[in-house]
Formats: sequence, C-alpha cells, structure tokens
Amino acid sequence: MTLIREAAAPATTTVSVLGTPRLLAGVVEGGRVDLAHHRALHGDLVLRRRTWLSGALHDVNLLGRGGAAFPVAAKLDAMPLGRVNIVVNGSEGEPASRKDRVLMTCAPHLVIDGAVVAAHALGARDVTIVIHDAAAHESVRLAALERSDVAGMRIVRTHDGFVGGEIRSVINGLNGAAAIPGGRRTLPHVRGVGGAPSFASNVETFAHLALVALLGVDGYARTGSTAEPGTSLLTLIGDVATPGVVEVPNGVPLGMLFAGQPDAPVLIGGYHGTWVRGVAGLVVERASLRAAGSPLGAGVIARPYAGTCVLDEVVRVSRWLASESSGQCGPCFFGLPALSDDMAALAVGAGTDRLASLTRRVNLVRGRGACAHPDGSVQFISSAVRTLGDELETHARHGSCGRPASTVLPLPAGGS
Amino acid sequence: MSSIEVDWTRCDAHGLCSRLLPEVITLDEWGYPVIDGSDLDRDLVRAARKTAMACPALALRVERRP
Repeated sequence: MTLIREAAAPATTTVSVLGTPRLLAGVVEGGRVDLAHHRALHGDLVLRRRTWLSGALHDVNLLGRGGAAFPVAAKLDAMPLGRVNIVVNGSEGEPASRKDRVLMTCAPHLVIDGAVVAAHALGARDVTIVIHDAAAHESVRLAALERSDVAGMRIVRTHDGFVGGEIRSVINGLNGAAAIPGGRRTLPHVRGVGGAPSFASNVETFAHLALVALLGVDGYARTGSTAEPGTSLLTLIGDVATPGVVEVPNGVPLGMLFAGQPDAPVLIGGYHGTWVRGVAGLVVERASLRAAGSPLGAGVIARPYAGTCVLDEVVRVSRWLASESSGQCGPCFFGLPALSDDMAALAVGAGTDRLASLTRRVNLVRGRGACAHPDGSVQFISSAVRTLGDELETHARHGSCGRPASTVLPLPAGGS
Repeated sequence: MSSIEVDWTRCDAHGLCSRLLPEVITLDEWGYPVIDGSDLDRDLVRAARKTAMACPALALRVERRP
C-alpha cells in the first residue's frame, strides 16, 4: 500500500504510484507503453454490448474525471440511438493539472481502447480526440498509427485556454465556432459534434472505461473503495510527499499524500477548487469530498510550503482567473476583476469594509454565467477567504506577513 | 411555476428589464439584472413575458417549470 516507486515521464512531470498501478501500469518502470507492451500488460481489447457496459459502469460507480464527477453510466444511458459520435476531451484546460497529458503521453493505447469500447457499445463511427499538449498529441497520433481499429478516428490539436477546455467549448470549437460555451446549456448528448449527439468525456474516463471492459466489474473493483472502486490520477503540487502525477486507489486518506504540517492550507480540485485547512478525515472519494464541501475536481491537490505567504499566491491566481473570462457574460467579465482587486486589497491590509465588498460580490458572480468559470473562480476566492482567516488578520494588522510569496501554483506562460 | 432565465452571453446590461419589472428585477453594480427569487408570482408572468420581449438583446426567457 505504501510502496511508492517513481520514474521520470517523457515530459518533466514526475510519475508515481501508490499501491498497484492500473492506468500507469508499465509506465513507472519503462515510460511510454507502445501497443505490443500495452497488449502484454492488459491483454486483448474486450468489446462489450451497450447494456453490459451501462450495467458495469453503474456497478463500479465510474464518475467522470474532467472535474464534474458525473456518473458515466448515466451519461451513456442518456445517449439516443442512431447517429452518434464520441468525443475524448484531452484538452486539460486546468492549468495546474498534468494527469491527462501524462496519461496520453505514457499510456495512449488505454485511452484509445476506451474510445473504441465506447464507439462499439454506442454504434458510433466517428471518434474525435481533442488534445492541447504537444507531446501528448504526438504520442496519441503515433499510437493510432500502430493500430488497425481506428478508422474514423480524428486527433485534433487545440489551442484554447481554461474556459476553452470545458466540453461545450470544445464542441463549439470542433464545429467551427469560437471555443467558448454557448448561452443555453445544451449538453453534448443532445447536440454535439456536427450537430449529432456526442458521448463526450475526459481522457481518464475513457481509460477507465477500457479497464472496466477488460477486467469486468469484479476485476475492476478489486482495488479502490466500496463506494468508488478503482483508482484515480492526481496531480500533486508543492509541499507533498511525491510531487507530480500519482495514481492512487480510491478511498486512500488524503493525509497519506502529505508529510507534516497537519493544519496547513491545502487547495483541493484546482483553480476552480476549494481551500481547506488540513486534510484530516478526508479521503480520495469523489462523493465524500463533495459532501465535505471540497470536490476533487480535476484531481489537483496543492499545498504551499511552510513559511511562505499563501495570500500572495491566492491573489496571483485570482488575477489570472479574472483574465481568463471569455468576456461573454457581464457578471464574470466585470465581477472577477473586481473580486481579485478586493482580494489584492485584503492582502495589503484592507480591513473589514473590503471583506464585506468581496462577500457581496461573491454572491453577485456566483451562478450568473454561461459556464462554470465564474462559479469555480468564486469558489477559489471565497474558500481562500474562509480558510485563511489567520493570514488575513496578520495582513490586516501589518499590511503583510513578511514571508516570501508562495509560488507553487503554476500559470500558463505569460499568464502570471 | 414560471421563472425568468437570463442568457448571460446575450445580456448587454441595457437595464430596460429592471424598469419594466422592478418588482422582480434590480441591477447589480455593473448594470446586469439580479432576479429576486426563482419562482415568479402568477400575476407577474404576463408582465415578465412582455419584459422578455422588450429586451433589446433578447437575453430573457420566461420558462415554465413543472
């Protein structure tokens, strides 16, 4: 259980495993897994009927890995019969996340297997894999060349940011429009790529789908927790036991990912995520983390180092979140800059009036946009204010805490 | 039950809605509508429909919910 092996992935991200690897089988020892190695590790591809797959996904409670944790069985069941297509979202817009590009770079055949399994079950002919990262794109492209079962598979490189990575933006982009979400919440299973219904999910979701088909319910459920069998890919950042991408069995305590500093602030879920103080009692399980008010999101978990100024980091990311508004919706376009100004003012010692203004604006931005960006950004900012009360008090009293700024949270080039 | 839905990608903060339906709609500090409560009073549904039709950006919809 505590065995942690490490290896350098082709990218600069460190890859490690807690327990037995599934998605990252073969990766930790040898890097990228080619088709022959993939088949030797996992066996031949197993295609399943739609009803079998739906039942199995329900039984193993597979939840989407893009951030919303939507039940994949329900997504599959919502697909109509007739002309449908598959969209594999590997755009990984979350700036702190590395798990999707590591998966595509190191285990591309598992992702493609998942797409083939879904396409077979739904009778879909067209599969589109959308990738932002260059190395991941190259790896999946080369993997597709090794196979004979990928006719009708399109591998598309995208160049869009955080909001552009949301699935409705991705689909608008594929349809030739701007890669921003539409005003009405039209879901992909109603109208997706080319106007046809799309079964769309994150790359890690598809890799798990392949594993469910390969292993069956009992085999898949041999690891993980009862409520959520299987494993998860996390991106760990900053003062953590193993920085980088790690595959863990679901149900492990979050405390196992850290050493020391039991009451330090931790960011769970990414830049649309939640700041908490300490992780006592929390486990890697999407439903229980959501119930605790700190959803796992895209699997990013970050902890600033002791002796650094977390508020500084919160201000930096808040500014970036404000700059990422696509400018479609007024409350987000005007509200997020105002909120990040409030946050910056609090960090240089503004008092309770400014805190009241921030609280009022939080309620003016939340829920008033076409996509999850305003809500997620507000979650990041408001949870920081809630969690970092001691730090805010020090800053209010002295105008600063005198510590060097924490700089563990990455921003895309040019974004900081 | 009916409710007023805003298409935030269309709304340009003209502010006409809050003048036509001040019982339900106020404006935030940037001029965008803040809608009070999710369910419309029955006697306001007609006025809400008229307001939605008057919106210069066609950003409002009155939706009936089961």
